[in-house]
Amino acid sequence: MIKIDSNTKKLLMDLYVTKRVGLEGNITKLIDSDDDDDFKNYLKECEIKDSDKRKKRLEITKKIQSQNKELSDLNDENSRILTELNQTLDEVGQDKLTYEVQNRELNEWKLENIRLTEELKHEMVKSEQARLTAETAKENAENDLDFIQKRNQTELISIIVKVALWMIIGVGVVTTLVYIITLTMGKDTQVISAAWANMFGILLTNAFSIVGTIMGIKYASKDNG
Amino acid sequence: MIDSILLVDDEDLFHLVFEDACSLLDISLSLNALNSSDEAAKLFEKWFQEGDNYDKPECVFVDLNIIGSSFDGIELIRKINFEFGNHVVIGIISSSNEAEEQAKAVQAGAQFWIIKSDDIEPRLEEFRKDYEGYKNRTLPFKVYK
Repeated sequence: MIKIDSNTKKLLMDLYVTKRVGLEGNITKLIDSDDDDDFKNYLKECEIKDSDKRKKRLEITKKIQSQNKELSDLNDENSRILTELNQTLDEVGQDKLTYEVQNRELNEWKLENIRLTEELKHEMVKSEQARLTAETAKENAENDLDFIQKRNQTELISIIVKVALWMIIGVGVVTTLVYIITLTMGKDTQVISAAWANMFGILLTNAFSIVGTIMGIKYASKDNG
Repeated sequence: MIDSILLVDDEDLFHLVFEDACSLLDISLSLNALNSSDEAAKLFEKWFQEGDNYDKPECVFVDLNIIGSSFDGIELIRKINFEFGNHVVIGIISSSNEAEEQAKAVQAGAQFWIIKSDDIEPRLEEFRKDYEGYKNRTLPFKVYK
């Protein structure tokens, strides 16, 4: 313990009374009052004053410490939010890029689609033209076939008619020759003359009929040709 | 009452809190505070080499994580106990309460672990009562929650 002489004690106590300046800190705990009641009271007051000051300071520093902790927590929270925000921004950027890529692909697909549509239209026009050409060709072919069929028929009929005409002529000539021979030989011509007359009449009728048919066929062939 | 205490903690504000709490609770007469474990290690090295121990603290409180230092509080305790051979009462004062770290601290020679909080006075009061046990090395490692 520290011992202080009476003069110093008096000076210290006077200073406290006149200027309210006293000893502070743990030094007060180390000073021996020497059973001096006044100095003992002085030391006690100094200790109480110091203790009050410390309590007040402790309270304030604790409050500041608590505020600092809150600020630190808030700062951490802000940092976390900022990090999240940056991550979100990055993700949005990525999404934007993806969107742009997709959009570009879609546009390319769209252009390709338009091109294909145009090609399809063009092909459809060509197809329609081909169909029309085919139909025309078909019609032409049908017409040609019809014409060929008619021509064949006409030619056949013509041949038949010509053959028939020649046969008639032949029969007529033969019958007439037989009649002439019979006449020149002075034989009975009753039967042959009647037969020749009948046959000639029939042949003539048929011949006219055949000629008429030939004329008709020719006329018809001329219309179609 | 402890003659002198050394606090090693990177938080300046806590130096004030600790000093006032110790003074109000009559725990110590003098308190010195340092911000880095490197500084503290240098001092203990000096005391160890010079054998000049008049200003050596009687008790040391070390924070677990000391920002701006090359090693943490447990390593500082290990150095003080095993490298510098200084016989001081030493322990951790930290807001952490991890059993794994506490086990490491015991291995490094820590005698106590005080958990920092807004209301630190009751723990320091309890520590003051146990102090003689730490000084005599009769009290086992204790955590003040």
